[in-house]
Amino acid sequence: MNAELRDLFLANLLAVALGLGASALLLLFLHKDPLAAGALLAHAIVRDGYTFADIFVKATPLILTALAFALPFKASLFNIGAQGQFYLGATAASAVSLALGDRLPGLPALCLVGLAAMAAGGLGGAFIGWAKARFQSNEFLISMMSTYVALAGMNYALRTWLMEAKHEYPQTDSFAPRLALPRLLEGTRLHAGFPLALLAAGLAWLLLYRTGLGYRIRAVGQNPNAARLAGIDAGRICTGTFLLAGALAGLAGLTETNGVQHMLVQGFNPTLGAEGIGIAILANANPIGIIFAAILFGALKVGGLVMGQMSGIPASIVEIMEGFVMLFVILSYFVRGALATRRAKRALQRSLAA
Amino acid sequence: MPEPFLELRRITKLFAKVAANREVSLAVRGGEVVALLGENGAGKSTVMKILYGLYRADSGEILIEGAPRRIHSPKDAMRLGISMIQQHFSLVPAHTVTENIILGNVHGRIDWAACQERVRLLAEEYGFDLDPAARVRDLPVGVQQKVEILKALFQRARLLIMDEPTAVLTPQEAVTLMGFIRQFAAAGHSVVFITHKLKEVLEVADRIIVMRDGEVRGDLPRAGTDERELSTLMIGRALPPLPEEPAAPSARELLRLDQVSVQDARGVKALDQVSLILHEGEVLGIAGVSGNGQQELCEAICGFRPLASGSIVLDGRDLAGLGIRARIGLGIGYVPSDRQKDGLVMDMSLAENMMLKSSYDKKWRRHGLLDRARAARFAAGRIQAYSIKAPGPEAKVQELSGGNQQKLIVAREVEAGSRLIVFDQPTRGLDLGAIDYVHQAILAERAKGKGVLCISTELSEIFALSDRIAVLYRGAVQGVFRRHELTPGKIGLLMAGFRLEAQEDAR
Repeated sequence: MNAELRDLFLANLLAVALGLGASALLLLFLHKDPLAAGALLAHAIVRDGYTFADIFVKATPLILTALAFALPFKASLFNIGAQGQFYLGATAASAVSLALGDRLPGLPALCLVGLAAMAAGGLGGAFIGWAKARFQSNEFLISMMSTYVALAGMNYALRTWLMEAKHEYPQTDSFAPRLALPRLLEGTRLHAGFPLALLAAGLAWLLLYRTGLGYRIRAVGQNPNAARLAGIDAGRICTGTFLLAGALAGLAGLTETNGVQHMLVQGFNPTLGAEGIGIAILANANPIGIIFAAILFGALKVGGLVMGQMSGIPASIVEIMEGFVMLFVILSYFVRGALATRRAKRALQRSLAA
Repeated sequence: MPEPFLELRRITKLFAKVAANREVSLAVRGGEVVALLGENGAGKSTVMKILYGLYRADSGEILIEGAPRRIHSPKDAMRLGISMIQQHFSLVPAHTVTENIILGNVHGRIDWAACQERVRLLAEEYGFDLDPAARVRDLPVGVQQKVEILKALFQRARLLIMDEPTAVLTPQEAVTLMGFIRQFAAAGHSVVFITHKLKEVLEVADRIIVMRDGEVRGDLPRAGTDERELSTLMIGRALPPLPEEPAAPSARELLRLDQVSVQDARGVKALDQVSLILHEGEVLGIAGVSGNGQQELCEAICGFRPLASGSIVLDGRDLAGLGIRARIGLGIGYVPSDRQKDGLVMDMSLAENMMLKSSYDKKWRRHGLLDRARAARFAAGRIQAYSIKAPGPEAKVQELSGGNQQKLIVAREVEAGSRLIVFDQPTRGLDLGAIDYVHQAILAERAKGKGVLCISTELSEIFALSDRIAVLYRGAVQGVFRRHELTPGKIGLLMAGFRLEAQEDAR
């Protein structure tokens, strides 16, 4: 067990280092000095509190969309539609925020907005789960395609009843200042959404590993036959899990509209869902692991932005970095398995020889 | 003495957690039938899979006709004249017999008529009655096995390895198979026959190699050995016989199936007007070749499969409309035949698996969360009571041997089944020690007054446990008999679809 934990840390660390190293090699092809870029990056992060805090700002919605993939994944279901559920949540959060204006004090208003975001995302998710349970439809396809429906719905709203008063761009007016999620640190963008995401991850872990419902979700995921024969209604688990997943992704809508943008803009954050999938897989769908993986991705995103400010380095380098890190982490998963097998064989050989 | 056709020298194979074979050496001569006898997990299949190129040995040598050979794939093995008939057939159900047989052995344009003719002649030569143009999915299991054998013959196999070939056969089909094996060996070919059934071994083998714990523990000619010696070699000790308790079932009716019909997944009738009665404190054995509606019978009782017609009544209560969970609540336990697929969550701990049937129960809840300490304590108690060999309640089920996995399920279902326990193939694939344990557990539950439905394809098991015996054939009950009214011969006929004259119904 200890050896396996050690392997896990070493392998992940090595994988991240290799991923960064491979990306650095790419910089060489661009005739840029990777060491200088690295130094600049480190410097920016250490010196500049704003940049450092932004890592966690970026990590916040990623934690939530990763959880939205991870929960159904534990039930062997694929929620590819976190992006759509996120859009639903963002649209609902914006609609409620604009409707409320200054009518309610901050905290109850924000609670209402959050509930609306979770309800919208949750309903979107529950529909996918219900369609799967009721008609045996393919949740992979439905969740993926429903993203486009949600996106089109959001765009429609932004062109009609949610459109700004000036009627110029497909975006909303700014929300009332009291509807912004509270800042945690002055001089940074870090907002209350981050602890909220941490809380969500903690609760998701608790749900999965310490409650009867979570136990049934995992049982259905690992062996649907045995779960069914044990009287567990896989259809209800499916709908319920997707509802929870959608609610989590919807919550990311709240953290982005009310925490970062303070308005809804057409087509913003278009890769949160896909990145969430990568993060969840990186963390082996463990909610606590997702926190760390999301922070890593947040750091990569911020790092990419900083590097993009250097002359001649394309900002897309960050996507390449993300890709390399993912690749090596997934490879390390197999290396770890091989190492564990070899250790077990060695121990066996020793015991036979003795 | 002539060179043996095959010789294995000091074969060792390590898996991650177990040594499957340790320095296994054996030889098979031409014209010889060798039985490889051993409990499950003794390493019989592993060593043959190494020979067939499915696994690679960590050390050791394979010699074919005296020359060392490397076998990396079944293709290599077949080129050397070695064929293996796996427990699970590797046939394409949608293809015809001929197509299956020539699969992978023809190239370029196929002369169908010639191929069909060759298959027909081959079948004739060995007295196999089958139609080369029939589709495999339409054939009964016993005939499918013949197709597998023909496939090997078509490739001019000189050594035929058969892994538990009689597991899927009726007694009569098994006799035919034994005849074929003798005929094949008489032509100078060799057969390795993997089994854990002592009776078959003594019937067909020239020589018997006994394996235990991955090692060869005995290599004996058939003449001069007996069941007692072999079983002692196989399990390392002698087994106590099952107690011959006088059957004293109460007259109280526990379960009644009335004209139950059920369709299988493809919409074909799987149970046909089945009527059965089970009393308290009684074991009703259901005999039959597998695939004759046993699974559907269990699923109908447990609520997994809707009835097309008929009714099932437990304790005077009609079960119609009750779901699986409600029926578990009424005290129905079910030990499914495929324990890894239907009974366990392999990646979960023993404690978690013990909760599977009762996860909704409030007893596992404390402050809204799962009471893991309680679950662990409970599992630890069961581990001790059923002498399950496991590192502890938090160990994952996949680390356990098959026998211990089965004991875990039995422990759980005995707990859940306070009124009725359905055992489907309760000892399939288990070694003799574990079989004995499960049998004792079944009899202990009967003694408590529970009703037990014991479905098995092993006649010895049916006879050892049942108070009454029903025979299923193509989804219909061929008759219900008291145990002493039947002999293995009679029951074999019933299993093959014949009805006995002047049949008495013991209901």
